[in-house]
Amino acid sequence: MSDATNNPGLWSIAWRQLRRNKLALLCLAILAAYTAVWMYAEVTFWNARLRGVTPQYKESNYDIRNHPPSPAHPLGTNFAGRDNLSQIIQGTRIAFEIGLLTSFIVIPLGFALGAVAGYFGRKVDTVVVYLYSVVDSVPGILLIMAIAYVVRSAVDRNEIFQFITRYVDSGLFAVCVGMGFTGWVGLCRLIRAEYMKHRERQYVLAARSLGVSDTAIMFRHIAPNVAHLIIINFSLRFPGLILTEAVLSYLGVGIANEPSWGAIINDSKQRLWLGNWWELAGATAAMFFLVLALNLFGDALRDALDPKLRTAETK
Amino acid sequence: MVAYIIRRLVSVIPITLGVLLITFFLFRVIGGNPAYRIAGKNATPARIAQISKERGYDKPLFLNLSNPFDAQFPRLCGQLVRLDFGESITTKQRVSTMLREGLLPSLCVTTPLFVIETVLAIVLALLAAYYRNAWIDRSLVVLAVMAMSISSLVYIMVAQFWLASEWRLFPVWGFEGPQYLVLPVLIGVVAGVGGSVRFYRTVMLDEMNQDYVRTARAKGVSGRTVLFRHVLRNAMIPILTNVIVAIPFLYTGALLLENFFGIPGLGRLTVNALFNGDEDVIFATTFIGSVIFVVANLATDIAYTWADPRIRLK
Amino acid sequence: MTARRCVLALVVLTTLASAAGGAAETVLYGTGGDFKGFDPVDANDVESADQVGRVYEGLLEYSYLDRPYHVIPRLAAAMPEVAADGLTYTFKLKPGVRFPDDKCFPGGKGREVTADDFVYSWKRVLNPRLQSAGDWLFVNHVLGAEDWVKKWADAKAAVDYSDPIPGFQALDKYTLQIKLHRPYPQLLWVLTMQYTFVLPREAVDFYGAEFRNHPVGTGPFRLKAWRRNYRIEFERNPTFSGQTYPDTGDANDRAAGLLADAGKPLPLVDRIVEYDIREYYTTWQMFLGGQLFSAGINKDYFEKVIDPQLELTDTLKQRGIRLLKAPLLDIYYLGFNMLDPVVGKNKKLRQAFATAVNVPRYVEVITNNRHTPATSPIPPGIAGHVAKPYPYQFNLARAKQLLAEAGYPGGKDDQGRQLRLTMIMPGAGSTDVRQAADFYTEQLRAIGVDLVVQQLAGSEYLRREHEGETQIFWAVWVIDYPDAQNLLQLFYGPNKCPGVNATNYQNPAFDKLYDQIVSMPDSPERTALYEKMADIVVDDCVWALMTYPLSYGLFQPWFQNYKQHAFPYANWKYYKVLPH
Repeated sequence: MSDATNNPGLWSIAWRQLRRNKLALLCLAILAAYTAVWMYAEVTFWNARLRGVTPQYKESNYDIRNHPPSPAHPLGTNFAGRDNLSQIIQGTRIAFEIGLLTSFIVIPLGFALGAVAGYFGRKVDTVVVYLYSVVDSVPGILLIMAIAYVVRSAVDRNEIFQFITRYVDSGLFAVCVGMGFTGWVGLCRLIRAEYMKHRERQYVLAARSLGVSDTAIMFRHIAPNVAHLIIINFSLRFPGLILTEAVLSYLGVGIANEPSWGAIINDSKQRLWLGNWWELAGATAAMFFLVLALNLFGDALRDALDPKLRTAETK
Repeated sequence: MVAYIIRRLVSVIPITLGVLLITFFLFRVIGGNPAYRIAGKNATPARIAQISKERGYDKPLFLNLSNPFDAQFPRLCGQLVRLDFGESITTKQRVSTMLREGLLPSLCVTTPLFVIETVLAIVLALLAAYYRNAWIDRSLVVLAVMAMSISSLVYIMVAQFWLASEWRLFPVWGFEGPQYLVLPVLIGVVAGVGGSVRFYRTVMLDEMNQDYVRTARAKGVSGRTVLFRHVLRNAMIPILTNVIVAIPFLYTGALLLENFFGIPGLGRLTVNALFNGDEDVIFATTFIGSVIFVVANLATDIAYTWADPRIRLK
Repeated sequence: MTARRCVLALVVLTTLASAAGGAAETVLYGTGGDFKGFDPVDANDVESADQVGRVYEGLLEYSYLDRPYHVIPRLAAAMPEVAADGLTYTFKLKPGVRFPDDKCFPGGKGREVTADDFVYSWKRVLNPRLQSAGDWLFVNHVLGAEDWVKKWADAKAAVDYSDPIPGFQALDKYTLQIKLHRPYPQLLWVLTMQYTFVLPREAVDFYGAEFRNHPVGTGPFRLKAWRRNYRIEFERNPTFSGQTYPDTGDANDRAAGLLADAGKPLPLVDRIVEYDIREYYTTWQMFLGGQLFSAGINKDYFEKVIDPQLELTDTLKQRGIRLLKAPLLDIYYLGFNMLDPVVGKNKKLRQAFATAVNVPRYVEVITNNRHTPATSPIPPGIAGHVAKPYPYQFNLARAKQLLAEAGYPGGKDDQGRQLRLTMIMPGAGSTDVRQAADFYTEQLRAIGVDLVVQQLAGSEYLRREHEGETQIFWAVWVIDYPDAQNLLQLFYGPNKCPGVNATNYQNPAFDKLYDQIVSMPDSPERTALYEKMADIVVDDCVWALMTYPLSYGLFQPWFQNYKQHAFPYANWKYYKVLPH
């Protein structure tokens, strides 16, 4: 990798390598399909939300509840007679929203802390390392739950936060904050290590001798050289978030008023024992292909962009 | 070496304190006063006040100017030093008793699960590394990723329903004998092995790209000998890290597995406490889990020196 | 709460031939859940009351078969003598009732129960250190109780049980006297509650903090083995005696075979084993496997079990499985916080809300007909309930009209802003709660109101309910005794938050009537006042009434002597298992 501030070569090289990887291309196609479904779901959701009407996926028809698959409802209907397929489509939206919302916390926090720690070293570094050691030490799922619980009751209670619930489900928001404040550690470590390397490089020393400010060096000079790490980190973290949400749903801190895949799976728990497998199968399949495609594509992307990272980030 | 260990041990203290602060803040400060739950549905205001007083919830949180030790946080620290975790709201049992009783059942599930998974993952990873980029390797990697792309919740639900209930291959529920552990362990291995294989494979491939491996191969040492004699030994460090860091999991137990299969371990305890909002129990499991993690990390660092003399302690 | 009660009914029963051969030992396998150990002062939930009810006993108990419910003496030799002013109750104890042998007694030999034991046991309920939720039974009723509690709450020292409470007097070994501030007609019900059960002081002193795990009671069973969080086992208490199966019952009981064992010594099973099963489908599998004596009916399983005529499906009928359903005395409702600036001051809005919820539909789709629509805050089966139509029955057009009259035509206020209401429900993450929440949201949306339902964890829900931090709260009241006073206290002004009146309802007219009824003995006059008070509350629409639950249980043919009971905690001794 060159030390140049701008690195147009990296992405085109990576793309060339990815293009040769048939599996990665297949995954990319799957991801594109999911993105299309997500967009469709967002349009349906916002269309109803902005017009103040009940979206189609939330319309109950108690006369046809728990029906098996039929041409009208390819995956059957759920407890309220809602079409399972449209529930699962909305679940795609929730999955992507979780990925994005969580990243709004993880990326700024992980990047900023990692950058200052790696760049300044010494005391700043000690503090940041201490911070992430502490967060890392608490069993993840319990910390996420505790934060989510706290955030949720704060959002539910305070008028100030009420505006959030107009646009985002309060449970979804809480879960994302919980996963955000536990998920920044991985990115922070990566960025910190990278900044430690870069701060000794020629171009940084040169910039410093020219009197460029530390902030400018950190964010204008070094940042572009490590930006790809954020993308890799995101694509490898995203599938984990989706799986964690399912467990959280089971443990009772999931998303309350929207059909997340975790909620659908959790709802289908009792009915599975009555031979009602389509709800579970639908949500599981939807989750499986997205997580699989993200995992495989994330691997390929990492290999193409920065093969050295393999051991640091796989787990 | 000894000085290093002592220094590392001392460094555990601030981290533990930090963990304690986080958990205290989340569970006690924001989690609120459980007096209403204890006082029941016919609660009289006087009794609610009495309960808050008895449990020390009316004391200042961090600092009491008149008596520095008479605040909730210092009192909590004092309790923990005495290994007193308070009592559960839902069962009124001492939390330390509950933890002690739950430890063995948890270990019964997590130990075999952990050992089988690790061994199986290393074997599969070696296989993949040996045949790297051949079809075996590729299909192993895809299979591993596929296995880790299914929610553990689904594994449990499907296996309990079909394998245990429909096909009667295993008991559905209970903790009466070793046969009751087979299915939970099996599910745990299947759900967890994918991620480990993927990780160990990359570790080994990285090692195989090292110069000394190429040299050895160039000298005519057989691929198998290189793999077992050199690569595996050097890959021990990341493998060890991975193994030791997973130790807290032995303690917290398999949260979901225990709950679905009725194994009275710490995982089930934790899940029930979460469902019931039993603050003291959650607090205790979280705290102990964290401390074990910190200690395990310390152990990893020390184990490095044993596994790889190249690493010198600073 | 009903979920827990369903769990109670999920009892697995099998018979095992004893190894010695000959007589078959009968064992009752059941499912239980978390409970607070065997300390009567902590029996404040259904599960704990049930466990305590097996090993401990009190002065009085409910009759098993008779309806309406009434109390009969248990450790008392007879019903008490009540002074003419209603302020003094004198009980004679049955002589010869013994605590079982236990190492807490000198020489390990159990001793006779005396009046002092009752005084001691009741003081423990009041002891502030023990944080019992049962203090309300005595405080402000029994002479000197509140002063005693206050004194020891402020004291630094450990509670001294020799410090007397004037209202509790052991006149001699077998005579016990309770003195009251004012007449307390509910006292007899109260003395059937597990909080008041008798225990020996030696056990508390000997076991200390571990007392709750070492029950030493006079009840029909004793604890044999216990693996917490998994399994608990009881066996017949050899020193339990002096009680036989009741011979009073009506023609229905006789037809149902409930009197076949009349006169036989209790208990009728030798052992009880309970497993802590959390997922319903596990219980269901075990029930179908024929090991189960009983299973409740989970909402999702309802249509597999019950046909559209609400009868058992043929497959289950052919196996001889019986379906028993009977009303419970609990009530589900949506409470409005009367101090809330939006719903509290606007009666029409509350009425619109109540009218907008289609309760019959709710009963059908959310409870699967396991409840019936409520018509009065006093459930049927209790004096004061009147069977007349609920004035806010579902009517969409009328709900819309009421909403307009309330100042929110179409759900918009005079400035065109959307009306948004918030309701809290307990049970974060529960599928059933989520489905119910969805239902309410949808019903309110039909009249243009935006209802946000917050599903809260148990303690958070209770905290907000008690501190009045609610707008609307979903709630259930599990009745403590079959007297409407237990429900009407929920509307009494002085009981406002953080007391039991979570709605903060203040109505001088109602309070005046309440002050009148609290000391009235059961009489047609009091029932008339109950009816009047219920009408006031319904008219003010303090609660949007939801449902009365039914107990629905499936029972194996070889399980006998089960009669649904609203207070079933002492009933284990009556149940019987046939060889099968």
